[in-house]
Amino acid sequence: MSASYLDLDVRPILRDGGEPFSAIMEAVGALAPGQSLRLLATFKPLPLFQVLGARGFEAAAREIGGGDWEVIFTPAGAAAPEPEAAATADDPRGWPRPEVELDNRDLDPPEPMTRTLEGIEGLAPGQTLAALLPREPLFLFNELSARGHSWHGSTEPEGHYRIVIRRGGQAPS
Amino acid sequence: MNGAALSRWTMAYFACAFGFLIGAEVLIACGYGFPAVAIEAPETLVLVHVTAIGWLSLLMCGALFQFVPVLVGQPLQGGRLVLPALLCLLAGLACLLAGFLSLSGIVEIGFPVLGCAAVLLAAGFALVATALARTLWSARRTGLPMPARFVAVGLVCLAAAVLFGAVFALTFTGLLPATDVAGWGLPAHAVAGFGGWLTFTAVGVSYRLLPMFMLAPETERATTRLAWWSGSVALFLAILAAPAERALSGSDASLVAAGLLGCVALACYGADLVFFYRRRKRRAIELNSRSAVGAFACLCLMAVLAVAMAVMGEAVRHVGTLVFLVAYGWLGGLGLSQLYKIVPFLTWLECYGPVMGRKPTPRVQDLVVERRDGPWFILYFAAVLGGTVSLLADRPELFRLAAVAMLAATAAIGLELVLARRLFNVAREKRLPEGTVRPHLFFATQR
Repeated sequence: MSASYLDLDVRPILRDGGEPFSAIMEAVGALAPGQSLRLLATFKPLPLFQVLGARGFEAAAREIGGGDWEVIFTPAGAAAPEPEAAATADDPRGWPRPEVELDNRDLDPPEPMTRTLEGIEGLAPGQTLAALLPREPLFLFNELSARGHSWHGSTEPEGHYRIVIRRGGQAPS
Repeated sequence: MNGAALSRWTMAYFACAFGFLIGAEVLIACGYGFPAVAIEAPETLVLVHVTAIGWLSLLMCGALFQFVPVLVGQPLQGGRLVLPALLCLLAGLACLLAGFLSLSGIVEIGFPVLGCAAVLLAAGFALVATALARTLWSARRTGLPMPARFVAVGLVCLAAAVLFGAVFALTFTGLLPATDVAGWGLPAHAVAGFGGWLTFTAVGVSYRLLPMFMLAPETERATTRLAWWSGSVALFLAILAAPAERALSGSDASLVAAGLLGCVALACYGADLVFFYRRRKRRAIELNSRSAVGAFACLCLMAVLAVAMAVMGEAVRHVGTLVFLVAYGWLGGLGLSQLYKIVPFLTWLECYGPVMGRKPTPRVQDLVVERRDGPWFILYFAAVLGGTVSLLADRPELFRLAAVAMLAATAAIGLELVLARRLFNVAREKRLPEGTVRPHLFFATQR
């Protein structure tokens, strides 16, 4: 079975403080039909599950010691299902560089959420904003979906969460 | 990873739960049930089930419908079951209480009302467990995080508690052959309900909510895993092995092993709580996190008392005191303290979420007045402690006095929750910016 894996180790990129998303998407693009991707990372890359899940991949994750994770993304036999929400459905590789970078890590809740939503209101449709948050913002995700914005993000090795949000087409009210 | 939406009926569950809490405290203050009558008297059964199902289980269900999606990062599955579940549980509890009253001879009911209670309560809890288990199941691909594993074990224990309860009810009704079912099954029923369903689930949810409210690190710790394993094995021994052993050989070895493992689980949980409070990034913590310390202290006190009484061979005589301390000090205290955060937070999110970032909005903290409410929590926990001491000292009149103090504190906290829900404490000019709607008291508006 292991012969059908394409191996990708993004731990060096993460340890150097880099962003492994494009390397992962390149590897996904290079997969042969039916081939699985075996990803090694320094944390459990939960947001990837959604992004690759939308492309029809099943994820199986296990901790391999030292805080590192092995995740195997296997293409499902059926055609890729339509993603449920607009959020994360479009490919973040085509997004422009963030207009605004917010560091909301040291604010008391719910200020990180409030400030992030304020920041988006200052963007034109299609522009992006990056924000560092103290933790995974589950209630913010819901608000972003309700407002028609797209986002992708991940928990950084230091424990905080980095999210990039692309403003949807709706004009500010 | 998906977001977490507002649970539509959570406030209705909370409101019903609060009503039953007030009712139970009134009954205790009036001297109804234990300690005036025996612990197995029908009057005491009324009191215990108003507390365990009416107050604590409805509170737990309402909280889980909102927070299990947060624990696993998946939307709630089977949201349509939530309201029918509440109606089944309310009808089932009403039948159960009527059944106990008829056992006590106060009323005469011409049909097997306890049988109806068994069916309705089993149906209600089955609907609750179905929605929650499906939500947990939907997260299996990414592996269940530790807090969700506690909830999963709690749901299995809920099924066990309901099953034992249904067997008792059907036996009392005469629908099952008469056996000494309460003799071997009652401890397992109580441990499954208070220990497995209510305590283990509350512990799991607290593993996620406490770090969330205090900004403490959420890395998975070895002590958390040990707490889960030892607690799960302890519950298995107490609920399945102990009744079998009691029925077959009459000995209690597995119950002793369960008690020791339970102590290991509590010690690990205590170590994790100290870690969360010490390593929090938010230095000035809010009233809910401060008052929760009272609940943790009650849990610790209960464990110390239980061990001391078991060693002295007095555990059976004082089991009522221990149940009171668990139900009102640990579970009830934790419930009240966390409601004080959850209700304002969900209200704030519901009302101001749609305009956040577009219009100036109040902070969550503006929905409550902590300085005014702190003393009510102090009164509540002092009254629980006083009640415990008066039960140990065999002073029922002082126990009733403590219940009056608990009732006053609970009513004040309940009133503050209603005020928070109605945005009463927010300055009038900031209260309802354009585009917002005042939340309904008993349910959340869906977007």
